[in-house]
Amino acid sequence: MTEATSAVQMEPEPSTPVAAQHRMHPAQPTSPDNLLRDPRDRRLPRTPEPCALVVFGVTGDLARKKLLPAIYDLANRGLLPPDFVLLGFARRDWGDGDFESLAKKSAKEHARTAWNEAVWRRLCGNIKFVPGGFDDDAAFDTLATTLDELRSTHGIQGNAAFYLSIPPSLFPIVLHQMERTGMASNAHSGGWRRVVVEKPFGHDLTSALELNGLVDRVFTAQDVFRIDHYLGKETVQNIMALRFANQLFEPVWNSNFVDSVQITMAEDVGIGGRAAFYDATGAARDVLQNHLLQLLALTAMEEPVEFSPEAIRTEKIKVLRAISLPNDKAAYAVRGQYDQGWLAGERAVAYRAEDGISGDSKTETYAAVRLGIETRRWAGVPFYMRTGKRLPRRVTEIGVLFKKAPHLPFSRTDTEELGHNQLVIRVQPDEGVTLKFGSKVPGTSMEVRDVAMDFLYGEAFTEASPEAYERLILDVLIGDATLFPRNDEVEASWRVIDPLEQFWDGQQPHLYRAGEWGPMEADEMLARDGRTWRRP
Amino acid sequence: MTTLWDTTGGAVVRALVAERRTGGAVTSGNALTLVVVVDEADVGEAEEAATVAASKHPMRTLMVIRRQVDAPVPRLDAEVSLGGRLGPGEAVVMRMYGRLALHAESVTLPLLAPDAPVVTWWHGAPPDRIAYDPLGVFADRRITDVCRAADRVAALNQRAVDYAAGDTDLSWTRITGWRAALAAAYDGAHDTALSATVSGDDADPSALLLAGWLSSRLSCYVPVVKTPGQAIESVTLGFSRGASITALQDGARLVLRRDNTPDSIAPFPDRSLGELLAEELRRLDADEIYADALGGVCGVPGLADRPPNRIHIWNDPAAAAS
Repeated sequence: MTEATSAVQMEPEPSTPVAAQHRMHPAQPTSPDNLLRDPRDRRLPRTPEPCALVVFGVTGDLARKKLLPAIYDLANRGLLPPDFVLLGFARRDWGDGDFESLAKKSAKEHARTAWNEAVWRRLCGNIKFVPGGFDDDAAFDTLATTLDELRSTHGIQGNAAFYLSIPPSLFPIVLHQMERTGMASNAHSGGWRRVVVEKPFGHDLTSALELNGLVDRVFTAQDVFRIDHYLGKETVQNIMALRFANQLFEPVWNSNFVDSVQITMAEDVGIGGRAAFYDATGAARDVLQNHLLQLLALTAMEEPVEFSPEAIRTEKIKVLRAISLPNDKAAYAVRGQYDQGWLAGERAVAYRAEDGISGDSKTETYAAVRLGIETRRWAGVPFYMRTGKRLPRRVTEIGVLFKKAPHLPFSRTDTEELGHNQLVIRVQPDEGVTLKFGSKVPGTSMEVRDVAMDFLYGEAFTEASPEAYERLILDVLIGDATLFPRNDEVEASWRVIDPLEQFWDGQQPHLYRAGEWGPMEADEMLARDGRTWRRP
Repeated sequence: MTTLWDTTGGAVVRALVAERRTGGAVTSGNALTLVVVVDEADVGEAEEAATVAASKHPMRTLMVIRRQVDAPVPRLDAEVSLGGRLGPGEAVVMRMYGRLALHAESVTLPLLAPDAPVVTWWHGAPPDRIAYDPLGVFADRRITDVCRAADRVAALNQRAVDYAAGDTDLSWTRITGWRAALAAAYDGAHDTALSATVSGDDADPSALLLAGWLSSRLSCYVPVVKTPGQAIESVTLGFSRGASITALQDGARLVLRRDNTPDSIAPFPDRSLGELLAEELRRLDADEIYADALGGVCGVPGLADRPPNRIHIWNDPAAAAS
């Protein structure tokens, strides 16, 4: 009898699903396995194969503030392969040396890790520059020959990633040039060729389809990496660890227990030097379409069958397709625009008074919307999304608010200060997780008040989180697409945004003072449902 | 900072709690507790290394300095600091005299951070058997440094004999840079390596472990060819299609030499003791790759299958001396 019982209690042998077995052999069966590498050997960093990174628009803001510093940081952490070339392309009458000094200046100014002259000297020997305009056939021919020459002079073996750090209007011409010269072809180069595209991925569904069609034709769909830098953030990746590595949270992660979800991305800055771009885009297209919907997808998705790019993207696309818009858009889709005000002790001008913005602009700098997800897990749970500029502080967070206990044995006065239990994932700043729940106030009478239990990345972990761009550039060079949205995710997101934009078209956004948490109408939107926004 | 003379373990615990409260850090987290076993003469060096590691890991550092085991009266002196000279974390430096030195665990056990992993690091020569030191028995990870022993090769062999899962040695940590460079060079080869040679000091534990690692990975014998000069001069990998790769150290640079490709030169700085310790604390599970390398070079098979737990063996140095 005892034997039988113990046999029943024995844990079943965990079996490896078929899908996970495929993962052992990555997509490109090019070369024999590296015997020196072992997944158990976590002291050895993941390093890419020999390769070149070609940056178009290398004199732009993004390249100077993010890309070049990230490449230095990667080199400093020893994560670049021994044979690595950084190739800049821009319309400048420059030699390698001019580009090198620009790269050094921006790396020194913006790098995360400490400055190490030896690392730089090593890197700068492998920095090249090709001058030329995007309509200049000769310049692209030079670029193609340069890449071919680097194969023998710098041992890059035909591998190259192209980073399009340029306005989307220039994509077609650059892509056609790459197609013409055969630069984009894996077969022609004898190695891999990948392309990195920055947001915006189009400005509506039609333009996104057009862009995706073009990029996916010139390269192949699996060689296209769309950067949403939010997905490179450590806390965002932690959403999956939190949900799928723990027993504690997943059982309550559904409409039986969750009252509502609030996803906020607030910025304290204005539009900076992006007036023309921003005025044509607005908050919904700039942030809601990509960052916020990706955060929503990671929060709401089902468990992927394995932790692989394909499986994760499959679950994300299911959620994105299940998103429903409010029927009463006038009440549940609010647009705002900042007026003049005070922020952090300084006077801030109104959006319409910013340089390069017309006095009657109808572009929104704030958007809040209530979305639903029509699945068994989430039906009936509102997802409140908001984003805005010139809000009191820069903060991004996901708040999961749980339902109140169905019955409280305490008297009403004892629990007056008890709110919803909450799980808050702080994406930035103060990366971490907070759990809020009720606790007895010390003293003789029974009184329950909300308290917070905090997990702070900086306190619990040993390694400083890398910059999102560091992580993402490394993933591109390694060929790991887990953290990059696929073309159909982009298209599904536009299917959510397009109807909102159509509804808002021609309407006047509500004004809010700079330094406030958005327009009153956004507060009323939650009040209508008997809820309030969390103050992040 | 609180300094306690001729005190008790209970008073040290209370002083730490008081420091936490006045420091306003009641909720600060500890990812691990590091127990440092060090001789009085080396306290400065060990403190410096622990400070570097503490700046990278949120941890509690407990330094145990055993003094005058033959002193007639046992005595404990302690210094408790939080965010002080020993880095941003919590640190307790304890000097133990007389027979108390043989029962150091009675003071350290109540000071371990609750439910956080414990790492014990012997700054000096490693104990002959880790089970002799109770401070190593309760640790989840044990860091030794055979380079501090008088006979380094014998000490390395003893590590293999005494090995239990969770052991590691700084002579292994010192070659992470070499291993990363070789693995990255291999990535670009697109071929299978069949042979390897290490040139350097054949009595240097790091050179031996590097050869042990290569032989366990490539399943072939990897010799250490004696050359005058540095501990590890160069490593050559031979591939099935006849190509070869040589990595050689040239001062603070590592040169990668291959057929038909220009040399690639990478910075290869010497790392401080603190940086080595910080790397060691990054992972808190057993290092199977080290076990394979150690077993390979010392000819002791099956190290990775050894159980992680040890049972304390009473070993009285006074009795051994008499």
